[in-house]
Amino acid sequence: MAVGDRAPARRIGPITQTDIVRFAGAGGDFNPLHHDPSFAQAAGFRSVIAMGQMQAGILAAYLSDWLGVEHLRDYEVRFAAPVHLGDVLELSCEIVGIADGLATIVLSASVGGEAVVTARACAVVGNG
Amino acid sequence: MAISEPRVLDHVEFQVEAGKIREFVRATFAEDPVHTSADVARDAGYLAELATATHVVVAGHFRDQQAMVTALGLSLERVVVGSVSWKYARPVVSGDRLRGTRRVVSDEQREGKRGGSMRMVTLETEYVDDGDEPVVRVRELLIERGTSS
Repeated sequence: MAVGDRAPARRIGPITQTDIVRFAGAGGDFNPLHHDPSFAQAAGFRSVIAMGQMQAGILAAYLSDWLGVEHLRDYEVRFAAPVHLGDVLELSCEIVGIADGLATIVLSASVGGEAVVTARACAVVGNG
Repeated sequence: MAISEPRVLDHVEFQVEAGKIREFVRATFAEDPVHTSADVARDAGYLAELATATHVVVAGHFRDQQAMVTALGLSLERVVVGSVSWKYARPVVSGDRLRGTRRVVSDEQREGKRGGSMRMVTLETEYVDDGDEPVVRVRELLIERGTSS
């Protein structure tokens, strides 16, 4: 592993209502914003939106499939924009630094070139 | 306003189950068999399947988020989650029984760029195992937009 290494490309979507319901069932987030179209529209969204934790989980899985979940030390996500039905998430994940056996990784999920979630992580690499 | 003595908001306790791990695997498009095969997990040096990285979000099944929002005096329709972070002492393993205590670690008012103010509340949940050893610590930043005036 070296600075500049990237995880193999991954694209998720188009996001369906089924995807969102599946995550709601796993995590227990039954806010109607994520499954009730009329509630979401009343709240000002054009469709239901995914829970941020879904994008956070998708991005974390992308990272852990590459480096191993047991090597993760820190993971932080920032939510930049909502994810709507039909959105296609383009994921990216790159090592930007390595010191003392710990890699710093920068990640993002983008829709149409705009980041909807950005993240930073720290993971043990090499002999760490 | 900084809070010197972190205020406890709620407690949660649950068992990490292999079936629930599989639900998260499907829901997050994870592919590593360490989450679904006990043999693969044992080869990696663990007793059982490893949970996906954000598994403790499952606390949502056992928490009353509306009660949390009310207890903090927040207006749900103006609240967004700005960021979430996880700090791992070790991986979460199928069979773990985890107990989480959620606390308010900061509560600040910030002036917005276009007038009005935002309230930023940081919550921290420390999850410990049956031996009271730390496993994972989660921080959530809640942002309450000010009412337009």
